[in-house]
Amino acid sequence: MHSHIKSSDTNTPLITLVGPPNSGKTTLYNYLSGKKSKTVNYPGSTVNYSVSKILSKHEVNADILDSPGIISLVPTSPDEKVSVDTLYEHPKYGNPDIVIVTVDASQLSRHLYLVKQLIDSNFNLIVVVTMIDILKRNNKDIDIIKLSSVLGCCVVKFDGRNGDGIKELLEKTRDKIMGLAKEEKISPIAKFKIDKDKLLLSYKHIEEIENDVIIDKVLGKNGRIDIASLNENLVVLNNRRPFVKPDEKTLKLDKIFLHRYWGLAIFFIVMSFTFTAIFWIAQPLMDWINGGFENLSDFSSGLLGDNLFSDLISGGLIPGLGSVLVFLPQILILFLILEMLEDSGYLARGAMLVDKPLSLIGLNGRSFVPMLSGFACAIPAAMAARTIANKKERFLTIFILPLMSCSARIPVYALLVAFLTPKDKPYLGGIFFTLIYLFSIASSLVVAAIVNKFRDRIVKEKEDSSFIIELPAYRKPKLTVNLRNAYKNAKEYIKKAGPVILILSFALWALTTFPNYNPNIPDSDKLPAEEVNSLKNSERLSGSYAAMMGKFIEPVMKPMGMDWRIGVSLVATFAAREVFVSSLALIFKVTDDDETNHNSLLTAMEEAKSDDTGQKLFTTSTTIGLVIFFVFAMQCLSTIAISKKETGGWKIPILQIVVFTSLAYVLTVIVVNGLKAMGVS
Amino acid sequence: MRRADELSIGERAVIKDVDNSHPSAHRILEIGFTPGQEIELLNCSVFNDPLAFAIRGTIIAIRKKEAHCIHI
Ligand SMILES: Nc1nc2c(ncn2[C@@H]2O[C@H](COP(=O)(O)OP(=O)(O)OP(=O)(O)O)[C@@H](O)[C@H]2O)c(=O)[nH]1
Ligand SMILES: [Mg+2]
Repeated sequence: MHSHIKSSDTNTPLITLVGPPNSGKTTLYNYLSGKKSKTVNYPGSTVNYSVSKILSKHEVNADILDSPGIISLVPTSPDEKVSVDTLYEHPKYGNPDIVIVTVDASQLSRHLYLVKQLIDSNFNLIVVVTMIDILKRNNKDIDIIKLSSVLGCCVVKFDGRNGDGIKELLEKTRDKIMGLAKEEKISPIAKFKIDKDKLLLSYKHIEEIENDVIIDKVLGKNGRIDIASLNENLVVLNNRRPFVKPDEKTLKLDKIFLHRYWGLAIFFIVMSFTFTAIFWIAQPLMDWINGGFENLSDFSSGLLGDNLFSDLISGGLIPGLGSVLVFLPQILILFLILEMLEDSGYLARGAMLVDKPLSLIGLNGRSFVPMLSGFACAIPAAMAARTIANKKERFLTIFILPLMSCSARIPVYALLVAFLTPKDKPYLGGIFFTLIYLFSIASSLVVAAIVNKFRDRIVKEKEDSSFIIELPAYRKPKLTVNLRNAYKNAKEYIKKAGPVILILSFALWALTTFPNYNPNIPDSDKLPAEEVNSLKNSERLSGSYAAMMGKFIEPVMKPMGMDWRIGVSLVATFAAREVFVSSLALIFKVTDDDETNHNSLLTAMEEAKSDDTGQKLFTTSTTIGLVIFFVFAMQCLSTIAISKKETGGWKIPILQIVVFTSLAYVLTVIVVNGLKAMGVS
Repeated sequence: MRRADELSIGERAVIKDVDNSHPSAHRILEIGFTPGQEIELLNCSVFNDPLAFAIRGTIIAIRKKEAHCIHI
């Protein structure tokens, strides 16, 4: 009998994977399910559960559930609560039939603590020992059979690097599943709060087990016992445990990366390299993509001739899509660098380095990873904030995430920066770009500090801020894996953003083309065809639906020194930020030019004039103003949705919309007019 | 009695007790800072906080305040 209730009516057994952070759960999950979930050298990389069928080639008919890492059955942060809930009271899956717990062999004494709690709670358990290779590197080994007999449950080995041991694990799992049918399922004992005495007793017991099952190869070498290890053994007798040194290489590297002064300097170098590389390394690739779309546009307009449909395809969709896809190399490079940082083990160090300064403004060292992933996208970033135990700190972290320059802003900034960069000094582009990133980080910290003053009014919660993090051993990033993941992420990005951009480009094209598709130009036969065409274009636009709507918002745009055309583009960005570039491309009618899309858009921006004053529309001051607007404005619907979900209410997302959008507007007005007053055009 | 936050870098000591002066005292015990265990202060961050300890073959960083409840 299976007592767990499932949404599907099949009676497939559920196997739940739990274990301490960084012990190899997701690695095993990927082996069993054939999925490619992200495995990262950072404690707290999985923050949500995921369920999948076990691959049919494994011949086990069961679902497998991967969960975030836990230290014990008493959760302290939301990600841990997710795991504990899946063990006891998952709304959809009930409780598991079998629990697989992963244990890092090199961390046995710490990781068995959870195993003992699971045994005491009556779970139907399989213990999987991982990272035995690391144990062996330190000249030790583990006696699995003995471990199994002292724990009184099933124990198997598994090597996460090559999948060795999976056969035996599957065999044991099949046996367990067979057993399920026969016995009545015992429900787990409800959550317990363990007191200090019990905890210490439990550790005592674990230490005895460890002494029993860990084989020290040095000790028995040549049949002689050396004095050093004999002393170590005496230490044990004295109720003192021998000191085990962490990974040598890691200790050495930490002397540099966590050095009092150099540590912080290296941290800043790593961060600024990340942001500069996005701009500089991507350039040749961007030119290449640019050329491709230019040819495609030419080709399709040649093929389709001169008609409405042709205009839609070669003047609307292709340049619209191209103007965004051009930035794919930059997004790829950003993802790649983030991947490599995650894999190296450096992120936990970064979190440690910034914990003190961040805690002064109401954040936590654990806010670092969510903030950093916010540079890719605010949505996974908001979920990563689950590892922050304190509610105030977690909410504040989620609050400022929209200020991190997410990858959707790369196309916008790249265009605006290209506009600002003098032709004879192209290297300034990378510097401007980095400055924007630094500015957005600085603003997020200032905003956090200000909002932190009101924290008690926004969230009621006891003051129990804490920062405890395991610093994993350093590892050389595996470039092929990183590249594959970065590619996967970039593909996801296109899949998500692509359709939105296409639909919006189409809508904007329609709005800017109709109802005045074929305006009447007086004396058109006396003028050269070229001029008639451009007159037609501008007449068509000014009589369009977009113009009608644009005129409506123009009063709001005026104080920022912008007109309705930029206004329409800005309105479109509230669906997706990237659309800004393609909508400018559409509205300023840049189609068939000899130059590339990107460059011709720049020229069109250069030439655009305000309708009533006749002055240039895009000047240094308005362009900087636009940058400011994009740094602050809360333009992403998905971010609002995830904020609501992760904070469990509308308070934070509404605050974000109000605060960031008004901040964006007011600051843009101040900056544009301030710069103008100072004599900047 | 000395506390773990008073250790100097490279110094080792055996934990005598963990008191309840910080809300995360229980968590500190749970991750393995138990009496009888030897620890070494490895690094401290720029502002002398948090501190990284070697314990049970791994490295764990905790805040100064949290290290303060560890008696050595
Ligand atoms: N050397 C070695 N590395 C392993 C082994 N198993 C997993 N790893 C690596 O250990 C790291 C952590 O693995 P994950 O599978 O992400 O661990 P997790 O338990 O899911 O971690 P969280 O989700 O953060 O709780 C990854 O970088 C893996 O590649 C193993 O048997 N040996
Ligand atoms: Mg995981």
